[in-house]
Amino acid sequence: MSEHVILFAGPMGAGKTTAIRALSEIEVVSTEAANSDRAAADKATTTVALDYGEISVNDAEKVRLYGIPGQRRFDFMWSILAERAEGVLLLVNADAENPVEIAIDYVKEFYALYERGGIVIGITRADLVPESLIEEYANALADEMPDVLIPVFTVDARSNADMTVLLMTLVANVELKQAVAANAGLTSGRTR
Amino acid sequence: MTIATHLNKKYISRGELALSGLKDLAPSLSYATILTEDGFSVVSVEGSELDSNRFASMASSTQALADAVARELKLGDNEFVIVAAEHGHVVQVRVDGHPLVLAALFTDKETIGKSLSAARRTARRLNVFLSAH
Repeated sequence: MSEHVILFAGPMGAGKTTAIRALSEIEVVSTEAANSDRAAADKATTTVALDYGEISVNDAEKVRLYGIPGQRRFDFMWSILAERAEGVLLLVNADAENPVEIAIDYVKEFYALYERGGIVIGITRADLVPESLIEEYANALADEMPDVLIPVFTVDARSNADMTVLLMTLVANVELKQAVAANAGLTSGRTR
Repeated sequence: MTIATHLNKKYISRGELALSGLKDLAPSLSYATILTEDGFSVVSVEGSELDSNRFASMASSTQALADAVARELKLGDNEFVIVAAEHGHVVQVRVDGHPLVLAALFTDKETIGKSLSAARRTARRLNVFLSAH
């Protein structure tokens, strides 16, 4: 059985744990602790190490879902989990302060994974702000990183259907990049 | 508005008091911190060369991972965490009844058993101090 390893990244309160729970076919392994930083996000608990879930794409393919903590003070976990990952599913809550800048910062942070497999962005909680346009994110990304192509969706992190679309887009991206890389390897092998 | 645990004077002063006796119990102590479950350092002693925030964050993750393993394997509550390395060891113990963890780093001059005993006693002392009015 082949498998993919996907990282769920994004700021605290974006819905990473919720999204993994919405997708996973196994009981999610969570490492939640009481949240003492209510100023950063008003929720009772926060992930301090990882979330882990699994989903089958078909009989022959499995996707391992790893959620990382949103706070930068846990960035050592980001590096540990990024080592094995092939792509990033980035969730950004639209009601955060400067969500567009946050999205760009995360793309820069995980740029190596963009190159390895890909990144997709899911904007959550878009219904809580007067106006949240996907174009804003797409245009800001295009301005900041003109050569980067990243799909942007608005999603409900609780929705299995929404998250499946986002995840499968990323998986398709990863597989395409892997196929292109393998093909390039074959071609360069032939020209030697 | 509720004061964050790591900024709460009660936790800081009583944490300092509890940690002050740890070095006497285990002289090879290099560094110790009381941290919130979610990785904020409340108070620390010794080892000024260490990044206390990073140590607290790592201790928080380690504690949560160990708790998750115990939970997944249906082993009951996780009592403590030990990271034993070539030149020293880290011992972590929860403070009963509070969202706090004591994490202490010792050199290899102490036995793990002695370090664990000292850390547990210190966590119990903190619990008593916090329960007192």
